[in-house]
Amino acid sequence: MSNIKKIGLLVTFLFMIAGLLAYGYQYKEGLVLTNMRNSYSWGLYVSSLAFFVGNAAGGLVLTSLIYLFGVTSLKPFAKIGALTAFANVTAAMISILPDIGQPIRLYNMIVHPQLLSPLVWDVVVLTLYAGLSLLYLYLLMLPDLFGTPLEQIALKVDNPKEFSEKWAKRLAPFSLVAAVGIHVITAWVFATQGGRDWWHSAALAPDFVAVALASGTAIVFVVALLTYGIKEQYQQAYRIMAIFIAVAFFIHLFLMYNDFFIHIWYSARDAVDTLSVTVKDYGLAHAFEVAVPLAMVILLLSSRVRRKTGAMIISCCLLIIGVFVHRFLLMPGSFDKIPLTISPLGLQNVEWAAPIASGRYDLALDTFVTKWHYFPSGIEMAIFLGVVAYVGFLIILAIEMLPIVREAE
Amino acid sequence: MRRGMVIDLEKCIGCSSCVVACKQHNAQPAGNWWNRVVTPGSDRHLTAPTEGMEYFLPIHCQHCQNAPCERVCPVGATYRSNDGTILVDFERCIGCRYCMAACPYGVRQFNWEDPKKGIKKYGYQEGYTYGYPYDYRLEGRLVYTPVRFKGVVEKCNFCVHYLVKGLDPACVRGCPGNARFVGDLDDPTSEVSRMIRNKNGFNLLREKGTRPNVFYLPPKRKEV
Repeated sequence: MSNIKKIGLLVTFLFMIAGLLAYGYQYKEGLVLTNMRNSYSWGLYVSSLAFFVGNAAGGLVLTSLIYLFGVTSLKPFAKIGALTAFANVTAAMISILPDIGQPIRLYNMIVHPQLLSPLVWDVVVLTLYAGLSLLYLYLLMLPDLFGTPLEQIALKVDNPKEFSEKWAKRLAPFSLVAAVGIHVITAWVFATQGGRDWWHSAALAPDFVAVALASGTAIVFVVALLTYGIKEQYQQAYRIMAIFIAVAFFIHLFLMYNDFFIHIWYSARDAVDTLSVTVKDYGLAHAFEVAVPLAMVILLLSSRVRRKTGAMIISCCLLIIGVFVHRFLLMPGSFDKIPLTISPLGLQNVEWAAPIASGRYDLALDTFVTKWHYFPSGIEMAIFLGVVAYVGFLIILAIEMLPIVREAE
Repeated sequence: MRRGMVIDLEKCIGCSSCVVACKQHNAQPAGNWWNRVVTPGSDRHLTAPTEGMEYFLPIHCQHCQNAPCERVCPVGATYRSNDGTILVDFERCIGCRYCMAACPYGVRQFNWEDPKKGIKKYGYQEGYTYGYPYDYRLEGRLVYTPVRFKGVVEKCNFCVHYLVKGLDPACVRGCPGNARFVGDLDDPTSEVSRMIRNKNGFNLLREKGTRPNVFYLPPKRKEV
């Protein structure tokens, strides 16, 4: 094992331990350790669910591109795709766990599932997707398992190469549907909520898919660069991935601003107030989530940049961070604006928000609040970083132990 | 039978007695309030936004007929009883707070910490307890308990534990202005149905399509 990998494993391991300890502490004390309030009831944990679900996309979309649309130059990265998909979809499930007030009772989801709840659908499709990406990874590795210590887990078939190819092809349509499905259903968790104008939009689900295709592919890109480098034989694949990311990101911008535009044009007070949370109160963050990934996408489209490993890795990482900020901004637009806004009888031109009990005791603060400036607490950030570290740890470990990286013939 | 409530805003004096009665009778943990009374248009309760224009608005669970909280609950912990009341099963709630995101009225409260610790933090007197002291189960489901679990959601239950005793909710009985009424909204001849018809009863956030079972009667124009 190279030293860089060793350091990577050690650092991610330490972050995982720190995250686990933070979770243990939060489990004991309750969610009082987070910075959420009754009026701002979802924060970093739910944002990170959406973030990791998005990152899980690239993998299987990539594999389906290869097997459904015949983009064979991407073939060396198919296993990386399945691996990052598995790592991220499991990270999504782990990252939502600390948001649950009574995690022990999660068995109720199986014993008493309430089938109208999008959250139930989400759990089902995320689990299916995790299983599918693992199965894919196994199938793609199958020909390379023979002659390694892992031979005993290999399926005994006559022609493993042909078998792997055949089944990868057969599974491809299902993985494409599943990959799109996890984003649509995760988006529906939010978009179905008529009480929250910021989420209640038909554009949210397609936008989730678009963002996911950008960030998910970017993650595959980073891992591919780290393992295969910028050799000439992969340039064609990198070009396709860069274009794919760019198109996905442009579609995302279109869907998002299309939604903004129709509301700004009509200028209903409620809708404008909702938008102003994101573009005014969180203006810097919004500028970041748009400008930075956009710049990175443009860089990735340059064939000169694509011949510099460092520049590409930084571009992809900044794009992913931009997408993370985008996911973070899923919450303020909904929770910084109180849905119960009324025009008091007898008053002209007044829109008034009814304050909500914060749920916390704080000498310095009001009991009933109309705005709560949420920023994740140290515990929340430690847990989130722990989950990010888990993704890194799993990917490094898998690449080291499993026949995932194979130079193209 | 569809149990509903009518609140006459003309009669409401903004005293918050219902808020206190609700808090006490239902043993609400320190930071939690199932009920609140506000002065619409004003940052400060009981202060007129414009001279002579004040009225007061009590807000609690609206027991919607199309309740988003009921639909989003992944485990059916929030559910509708036979009389249309939306209840929370304290033993089943997993604390995902999806219902809090779904509810447009901001009436759902989460137990962010162990309520016993909260009471200490608040500086309540040692050994002070309050509220209806017994668990109440409706068809086996724990819909009221004086000591809450950490990490579950709670909200107005229309005092379901008093209903079996033939008593009205604490807020109704505790209102000095007699501004609150409960009754059967399915029965067109009931007092509440008549009041809604005769006095232009309205709902909060009609446009959200939640169809609440709590109606308000508009206040008359105040004399300046």
